[in-house]
Amino acid sequence: MFDWVHNVPILSILCYLPLAGALIVMFGMKSGQESAIRKFATGVVFVDFLLSIPLWFAFDRNGELFQFRESAPWIESIGVRYEVGIDGIALLLVLLTTLLGVLAFLSSWSAIHTREKEYYIFLLLLQTGMLGVFMAMDFFLFYVFWEVMLVPMYFLIGIWGGARRLYASIKFFLYTLAGSVLMLLGILALYFYNSGGLLGWKGLGNPPSFSITQFHEIGASIPPDLQFWIFLGLFFSFAIKVPMFPFHTWLPDAHVEAPTAGSVILAGVLLKMGTYGFIRFSLPILPNATVKLLPWMAGLSIIGIIYGALVAMAQKDMKKLVAYSSVSHLGFVMLGLFALNGPGLNGSVLQMINHGLSTGALFLLVGVIYERRHTRLISEYGGISAVMPLYATVFLIITMSSIGLPTLNGFVGEFTILVGAFQRTWWWGLLAAIGIVLGAAYMLWMYQRVFFGPLTNSENKDLKDLTGREILYLAPLVLLCFWIGLYPRPFFRILEKPINYVVAKVDPTYGTAVASAPIVSAPVAATPATTAPAAGE
Amino acid sequence: MLPNPQEYLLLAPEILLASAGLLLLLAGAIGRGMGNRESAGVAMVSLFLTGFVLMRVHSVIPARLLILNGSFVLDGFSFFWKMLVLIATALTVLLSVRFVAEGSYRPSEYYSLLLLATSGMLFMASGYTLLTIWIGLETMALASYILAGYFKRERRSTEAAMKYFILGAMSSGILLYGISLLYGATGTIHLGDLSEALRGAQAQGSPLVPLGWLLLAAGLFFKVAVVPFHIWTPDVYVGAPTPVTAYLAVASKAASFAILLRIFYEGLGSLKVEWQTVVAIVAVITMIWGNVAALTQDNVKRMLAYSSIAHAGYVMIGVLVASEIGLWSVIFYLLTYTFVTMGAFGTVILLERREYAGETAADYAGLSRRSPFLAAMMLLFMIALTGIPPTGGFVGKFYLFAAAVEKGWTWVAIVGVLTSAVSLYYYFRIVLYMYLRDSDQTTPTPLHAPALVVAIAICAVATLALGIFPGPFIELAKHSLIPLPSP
Repeated sequence: MFDWVHNVPILSILCYLPLAGALIVMFGMKSGQESAIRKFATGVVFVDFLLSIPLWFAFDRNGELFQFRESAPWIESIGVRYEVGIDGIALLLVLLTTLLGVLAFLSSWSAIHTREKEYYIFLLLLQTGMLGVFMAMDFFLFYVFWEVMLVPMYFLIGIWGGARRLYASIKFFLYTLAGSVLMLLGILALYFYNSGGLLGWKGLGNPPSFSITQFHEIGASIPPDLQFWIFLGLFFSFAIKVPMFPFHTWLPDAHVEAPTAGSVILAGVLLKMGTYGFIRFSLPILPNATVKLLPWMAGLSIIGIIYGALVAMAQKDMKKLVAYSSVSHLGFVMLGLFALNGPGLNGSVLQMINHGLSTGALFLLVGVIYERRHTRLISEYGGISAVMPLYATVFLIITMSSIGLPTLNGFVGEFTILVGAFQRTWWWGLLAAIGIVLGAAYMLWMYQRVFFGPLTNSENKDLKDLTGREILYLAPLVLLCFWIGLYPRPFFRILEKPINYVVAKVDPTYGTAVASAPIVSAPVAATPATTAPAAGE
Repeated sequence: MLPNPQEYLLLAPEILLASAGLLLLLAGAIGRGMGNRESAGVAMVSLFLTGFVLMRVHSVIPARLLILNGSFVLDGFSFFWKMLVLIATALTVLLSVRFVAEGSYRPSEYYSLLLLATSGMLFMASGYTLLTIWIGLETMALASYILAGYFKRERRSTEAAMKYFILGAMSSGILLYGISLLYGATGTIHLGDLSEALRGAQAQGSPLVPLGWLLLAAGLFFKVAVVPFHIWTPDVYVGAPTPVTAYLAVASKAASFAILLRIFYEGLGSLKVEWQTVVAIVAVITMIWGNVAALTQDNVKRMLAYSSIAHAGYVMIGVLVASEIGLWSVIFYLLTYTFVTMGAFGTVILLERREYAGETAADYAGLSRRSPFLAAMMLLFMIALTGIPPTGGFVGKFYLFAAAVEKGWTWVAIVGVLTSAVSLYYYFRIVLYMYLRDSDQTTPTPLHAPALVVAIAICAVATLALGIFPGPFIELAKHSLIPLPSP
């Protein structure tokens, strides 16, 4: 039924459909026709979403690693190709992007009333950039999409943001750009090592190429000291995007000032680019450096988990609280990645999706009440559940998903990550578990202050419950939260192959010799890191 | 030994352009002179003709031909730079039409000087002895001094011309002094012989050689405006009529880089190790200072002046590495830079109301509402100057940094990427005003200069084309190589 997708360049269509939509809005529609623009733009992303669904069914779980590939020469003199393709990881992220895209557009209908034409143009361009990042199989192409996407995001924050939008927008842009230019040097180093060599290192003499799969293949042969420098270059770029502690300071500003749709996309998709970068590039291409820097990576992740949670607890503004909770949740994802084993990576990728769903939903929910009251201060609310029962219910489900209650998606992700972390080093898991407790504390405390207690603030008396359109864009998220929570198997199934591939690249000893010496050795010899992994898997 | 008269046929493009310039000058002096549109038309036609003849000439000659007793070289390298300055001059003419009309000075003089300066550049691109190069340079410079002071009743324009003249004359003197010292040490001004002689034992011990090439380099650095020889740039760029500023920032800079590459690679090739150190230092301080100084500029022309300094710093990376990728990257970068900078200045000109008004960043407030087209164009040019894809600016920087990484100048590349991240701040300050701020003015900015709009549109299309389909342009750059200096 879905076989036709193999016969068309489906990925390019998915990627450039929003761009085409943006061009049509730009040149074909006048600023007067706000309602038409709104409907047209939302229609475009909806079609894009519908077109992305067949990928899920047509993707061969036992087939090649990267599927739906397209390849054409682009800049031949240096071996740059236009090459796209997706594996299970990218597939999930593409689906997440198209889904959240529709929801973000729907939520904008009532939230954005100024300069709507430009708004939808930028939002559409952003969609193209994000999809391109996940699809690119050529490092040059990846970098192009990675940077292109910054411009529309800058405008979304800067034009339609809150009071401090000018500051937040340029801070976001500067931070992320500074990170990505260092990645450029890392890419160049890989490129030259693959072909002619650079500095003192003799190259491999392969034909010049930026192909990601080619880099995967040469990964193990890159000398350790070169790996270290390349890792560092890529690290800044990805770590800022994730954001890892201590590179997270742009995030609260950007989140708080961005309009709701901007926050949803920022938290739901943009942050995943960082973690995706680690799993796609750093881990498989630079295994030696990854292993060497493992304690640092894990350390920063754990600090991020706990620090993010503690700071979130102290927030008075709901949106800021959710923003800091992202720092904490992304810390989990990073910890899972750097467990470098099957469970850790599986959980980590699943948690990327979970975070996209639940945090996306949280931002949408905060946006809903902000549109009604124009404040996000927790202290302004209290007892809302009495006037907005439906809203309170949805908020509760999402809260539970965020703190990892069993039967909901967050539990599956966090639990799997913890399994991975315990297997790697038991006390990583222990510390991360503290983060879960703190997470439950700040989320539930916020929920209690906003929804329970007496309805003291008279302004809240006549708040309207969720409208039809709001239910429409929240319902898919709630359903997905339950689906992943109750039956995550299809997700793990599609991740099986790519995760095994990454694990085999970064830590070939895993699985073959469970009890053999763990790879974390000399740098953390002082810690009891070498305890045998639990024999759970 | 007299040159073969037929060789002069190969000089047809240069002769054609210079004659057109002189004719325009003459036409302007007779009676009430020639009108603005007519003069601009004549200039455009002669530029096109020159380009056409140039292509003919280069289709009949072998890959590399030395004529006029070896003082003039015809090769792919000179062909590229000649075409580039012709394109840049044609864009300048388009940029100038309205500006000159508003200035109430004799228009034909203006276009005549433009053509004469350009013919000087053509000689620079082909010069193969230090003196041919110097004469071309002086032809260009003298015409540029006058162009900078074209608004002779405006104090700022006169001031700019005066500063430009004094500092320019001094730098030409230094350059000439360097040439004379090298001549004293080696007995030749011919680039090929010079490079041979510098390898010889006699030149190795001579104290005149290091002094000579350092002075020569200082003179060249002044012309391409890199730190610490950049002091004249901001004042001249701000004071000069804006189309002239664009011309100086693009065509003059491109021609100066052409001779810099030619002299360093072909004449001073055997001193590579020495000049690489100097160029590396200059590149790094130029990138840092150009970008940092641009951060605080409120005047858009001054900001673009510092940005042009910074970009000269990036180009120096390509000069520095002395590799094949380095050469392409310089060529590709200046090609992109031409269109991007011309486009940016074109937008500035369109916004300038009367001579100097409308130059501060605040004048751009709310431009996206008043004129979405202009704002979008300026946005594109700012993105390209920052070096963000999908524009030619990104591909250009990518090549430069690639060249540096390949040859082990990673620290220079690190400075390069970080400073280009810094540049985002000042380029996007303009964007911030255009898109993120509202202004009291709501009347739409009229696009009342068709020639200018055409020029901006050409630049925008070229900027995108260079970014999305750089392949053909890279191939073009590959045909413009000159012999690389051997270690």
